[in-house]
Amino acid sequence: MKGTQWKRWLLGAVAWFAFLPPLAAQNAPLYTRWENYTTANGMPDDKVLGVAVDGDRVWAGTENGLVLIEKGRIAKVFQPADGLAHRVVTGIAVDPKTGDVWISTFGGLSLYSGGQFHNYTNLTSGLANDIVYAVAIQDEYVWAATTAGISRFNTRTGEWSIFSEKNAPLHEPWSYGIAVAEKKVYVAVWGGGVLEYDIAGGFWKPYNDPDGEMELVLFRNQGLLHDIVSGVAYNRDTKMFWASTYFGLSGYDGRNWHNYLSTDSGLASDFINATQSRGDEVWACTDKGLSNLSFKTNTWVTYRPGPGNGRGEIVITGPDKKVTKLDTPTSLAHNYILNLAFQGQDIWVATATGLSHGIRESHKEGKLDEHARTGR
Amino acid sequence: MSPVPRKRLLPSGMFPLALLLTSVMAMALCAYWARAAQPETLPPPVVPQSNYLTPVEAKFSRDGMRLYVVCEDDDSVLAVDVRTQRVVARAKVGHKPKDVAVSPDGKTLYVSNEWSDTVSELDAATFAVRRTLATGWGPLGLTTDQTGKVLYVANSIGNDISLLDLSRGVEIKRLASWRSPHYLQLSRDGRRVYAANLLPHLGSPDESPVSELTVIDTQKQRVTERILIPGVLELRHIAEAPSQRGAYLLVPFMRPKNLNPLIQVAQGWIVTHGMAVVWPATNAHEAARHSKVAQVLLDDADYYYAGANGAAFTPDGRYALVTHSEADIVSVIDTNKLERRLRQVPTADLPNRLDSAREFVVQRLPTRSNPAAVAISPDGQSAYVVNRLDDSLTAVDIPGFNVRTRIDLGGPKVTSQLRQGERLFHDARFCFQGQFACFSCHPDNHFDGVAWNLETPQLGRDRVMNRTLRGVAETAPYKWNGHNPDLETQCGPRIAKFLFHSEGFNAKQLADLVAFIKSIPLPPNRHLAAGGQLTAAQERGREVFFRKACDTCHTPATHYTAQISSDVGTAAKYDTSGLFDIPQLDRTYEKPPYLHNGQALSLEEIWTIYNPGDKHGVTSDMTKEQLNDLVEFLKTL
Repeated sequence: MKGTQWKRWLLGAVAWFAFLPPLAAQNAPLYTRWENYTTANGMPDDKVLGVAVDGDRVWAGTENGLVLIEKGRIAKVFQPADGLAHRVVTGIAVDPKTGDVWISTFGGLSLYSGGQFHNYTNLTSGLANDIVYAVAIQDEYVWAATTAGISRFNTRTGEWSIFSEKNAPLHEPWSYGIAVAEKKVYVAVWGGGVLEYDIAGGFWKPYNDPDGEMELVLFRNQGLLHDIVSGVAYNRDTKMFWASTYFGLSGYDGRNWHNYLSTDSGLASDFINATQSRGDEVWACTDKGLSNLSFKTNTWVTYRPGPGNGRGEIVITGPDKKVTKLDTPTSLAHNYILNLAFQGQDIWVATATGLSHGIRESHKEGKLDEHARTGR
Repeated sequence: MSPVPRKRLLPSGMFPLALLLTSVMAMALCAYWARAAQPETLPPPVVPQSNYLTPVEAKFSRDGMRLYVVCEDDDSVLAVDVRTQRVVARAKVGHKPKDVAVSPDGKTLYVSNEWSDTVSELDAATFAVRRTLATGWGPLGLTTDQTGKVLYVANSIGNDISLLDLSRGVEIKRLASWRSPHYLQLSRDGRRVYAANLLPHLGSPDESPVSELTVIDTQKQRVTERILIPGVLELRHIAEAPSQRGAYLLVPFMRPKNLNPLIQVAQGWIVTHGMAVVWPATNAHEAARHSKVAQVLLDDADYYYAGANGAAFTPDGRYALVTHSEADIVSVIDTNKLERRLRQVPTADLPNRLDSAREFVVQRLPTRSNPAAVAISPDGQSAYVVNRLDDSLTAVDIPGFNVRTRIDLGGPKVTSQLRQGERLFHDARFCFQGQFACFSCHPDNHFDGVAWNLETPQLGRDRVMNRTLRGVAETAPYKWNGHNPDLETQCGPRIAKFLFHSEGFNAKQLADLVAFIKSIPLPPNRHLAAGGQLTAAQERGREVFFRKACDTCHTPATHYTAQISSDVGTAAKYDTSGLFDIPQLDRTYEKPPYLHNGQALSLEEIWTIYNPGDKHGVTSDMTKEQLNDLVEFLKTL
C-alpha cells in the first residue's frame, strides 16, 4: 500500500513539473469559464458601468440600479426607491476598514452602511457636482471624480474640498477615475491627463501627453500617450500607475513610461474605458474585448465573445507577436468592457450587456497553455 | 406726709396680659425690623457647580464587590464598597467623564471624558491612571469587546464610534453612527456592540422622528445593521435580557407627538415615555430581513414618567428596572408580564397604548433627584440607582424591591441656586400629568433635533425647530419669533401656559431655573485648532463671511446674532410670518437641522435650496468652493 501511494505522489509531481514550464512562460492567468449576469437572470439593466468586490460580496453598478451578488446569486437590487441617490451607478468603492460602501452615481454620492443609504449631493453637501464618475477611499477621505472637478470628503470632520482648475492643474474639470496609492492619489481627467496628489504635501503634479497632439503619438514612451484619460489604476505590488486613454494604454513606474498601442501589441483596441492592475497583471477594458498584459513577459491575452456561437475566444499574443487563438465553451457577456474587479483568482467584468464572472480552471489552463505553446 | 397714691394705669390683674401683649408686639416689631433689614429671601448658598459630584453612570466590578461611579462635574471616578456603602477610592480623570467600562478580567477601567475627547485608562486595584487615549469628538458610552483587546467608544459630537486597539493604545477605525451615539452595550455572547443614538435621523420636519440603534459585528468590526425605531428619540441606555429569555434588548426612549399642537398637552398623550423592545437579527441572513422592534409605553393613563433613561435586567431576566430621570422614579418591570403583553397586543398598536404599563410595571420606586442610571449586582440581590443631582445612590433590595438606603457619595450638603435650578430643569412634575420637563426636549442642555408645533392651535402651522440652551445667556431675545425679551419671560408664564399647562414655577423657582440656564456653557469647539488659528479653508471662509456682510445680522460681538428678527425669505407654506429671530452661530455644527423649522438638513442647504431670492445674503453668485469655505468657517464659531 505504502509503495503504491508513494508512486502516485511521484507521478503527480512529475505531471506538475511537466505543466509548470509553459505556465511560467506565459505567466498570465487564463479564464476559461464565464458566468454571466444579465437582465435574463435578474440584473436590472444590461449596461454594467462599475464593479467592486468586498470579500465574498460583489457590487455592480448598472444604468438602472446597484446590484449585490452574494454566493453567486443576485441578492438585492437597490434603486432610488430604496434610498440610492440615482439609478445610474458609475462606480463603487468599499471602505476596507469600515466595510461601508460608497457609490458614485449620476445624482451624487451614496453611502450604504448597515443597510441604510445616506446621500450627498451638490445641493445637500459640498460635493462639486452630482455627475460622479468614480469614487475611492483614502484613509478617512472619500474622493469623488465629478464633471466639475475632484471632490474630497473628510468623513471625520465633514469637510468638503474641491480641486478644480482654480486650485489644481486641471485643464479640464471633467474627471473620470481615481486610484489611491500609499502616499498618492491619482486622478484620470478627460482631456487633462493624469493628476497625482501628494497626500503628505497636499500638492498636485500633472502628467500630460508630451507631444500635445490629439491624433498623433510623436513621443513614444516619453510620457502619457494621450490627455483623454478614462481611468487610472495603481498597482501596489509594482508601485506603478496605469492610465487608460481612448488612444492606448500608459504605465509609469516612477522613472519610465510604458505605453502600448493595438497596432504593435496584443492590446485589443486603443479605445480603453478602464484599467486595473495587480502583481504582474495589467488589464485593459476596451471596446473590443478585455486585454490582459503580463508585464514581465510582454504577453497579451485578450478575451472576447466568439463570432456568434455563444462561445468565448482567447487570443494570446506573445512577445514575438505570435498569435494563438483558443476557444472556450463560455464567453464574456459582451466585448465592450467598462471595468473590472479582482476576487481572489477570479475576476468580475462590467460589460455593455451584463456582468461577467471570470473563473480560472487550473486543469484546463494547463491544457490550453500547452495548446498555445505547441499549436496542438 | 402721706404718700400720694399712684394712679393705677391698669386695673388690677391686667398687668400680666399687658406684659404678654407688649412682648408679642416687641417680637413682631423685631421681626419686622429684621425683615426690613434683610432681603425678601435669604441668598442661596454660593456653591460652585463644579463642587458637586453629579454622578452619571455606575458599573459593577467583576466580583460585584465594588461599584464604579462616574462623576461628571467632579471629573472623577469613584469606587464604592457595596458592603460598607462607602466611597473607598477616587481618581481624577478628564473633563466631563460620562461612562466607565470594566475590562473582561476586571483589572482595568476605562472612563470616557466627553470634553477632553479622551479615555482614561485606570488600574482597577490602585485607581491610578495608566494612560490617556485619544478618541473622536465627545466620547460618551464605551465598552470593551469580549477579549478586552478592543475598546468601542461612542463619539457623540463626531457621530461615530471609535475602535481603539488597547495593546497599542491607538484608534484603528471609526464607524459611522447616526446621530449623537450615547450608550454602548456589548451583547452577552460578545458578537455585537449596540449603540443607542440620542438624536433622530435628519429628516423632513413634516415627518415623525426616526431613531437608530446601530449594530456592530465585533468579528468583522463593521456596522451590520441600523435598526430604525420610528416615532421616538432620545435612545439612552440599553439592557440585554439573558439568552434564556431571548436576548432581547430594552432601550428607553421618549415618544413625542411633536407634529400635534402642544396646546393639546392638556388632553394628555403629547409626550410619552417608554422603551423599545428589540429582537436583534443574529446573523447576516436575518440582518437582511431586519431586526424586530416593538415599542411599549411606561406611562400610566393619567400620569407620565418622564426621562426613561437607565435600564438593567436582573441576572435571571425575571425583572427589569428603568429609571425615569425627570420623574425621580424607577419602574420595576415584570418581564413575564411584559412578554405576555407583547404577545397579546399587535405590535402596531403598542406604541400608543397607555394601558400597557399597568400590565407589567409592578412597582414605582421613589429615588432622589434625577436618577440617571441603574446597575444590578451580579448576585441579583441589589440594585443601585445613580441619583445625578443628589450626589447619591439609592440602594434597592431585590427581589422585594424595597428602597434600602441612600448612599451619600460625598458632595456638598447645601443646595446652591444653580443646583436647585438644574433640579427644576429636570423636574417633570411641573408639567400637566408629569408629561415632560425642560430637559425632556433639551437633553444634555442641548436640543432634541425635531420641530414642534408650539403655540398655534392649528395643526401643522408655525412649526419651529427646537433650539439649544448651550451658551444662550447673552443671546436674548428668545423664541424664533423673538417675542420673549428674556429667559424669565420664556421660562415663566409662557412655559406654564403654552407648554406645561400648569401653574408653572413660582418666582424663586423661576429665578433658580433661569440662573441655571444662563450658566449652561458652550462645549469646546472641535473644528477650531487649539491655538485658534484658522485653516486655509476656514480663513477663506472668513473672508467670504465678511465680504458678504453676513456680520450685519450675525454680529460677532454678540455671539453672531444681531439680537433682532429678520425676514430672510425662509418662511414656509404654513408660517404666519417670515420674521424670525436671528440665531446665534456658536457651535453651529452641533445643531443641524437649520433654519426656523429645520427644513435645511445641512449648512449647505441654507443657501443651495432655501435662499432662492438672495434674501439670506446675496449668495447666488458664490462658487461651490466659496460656499464650502464659508461652511468651514461657520463651524469654527
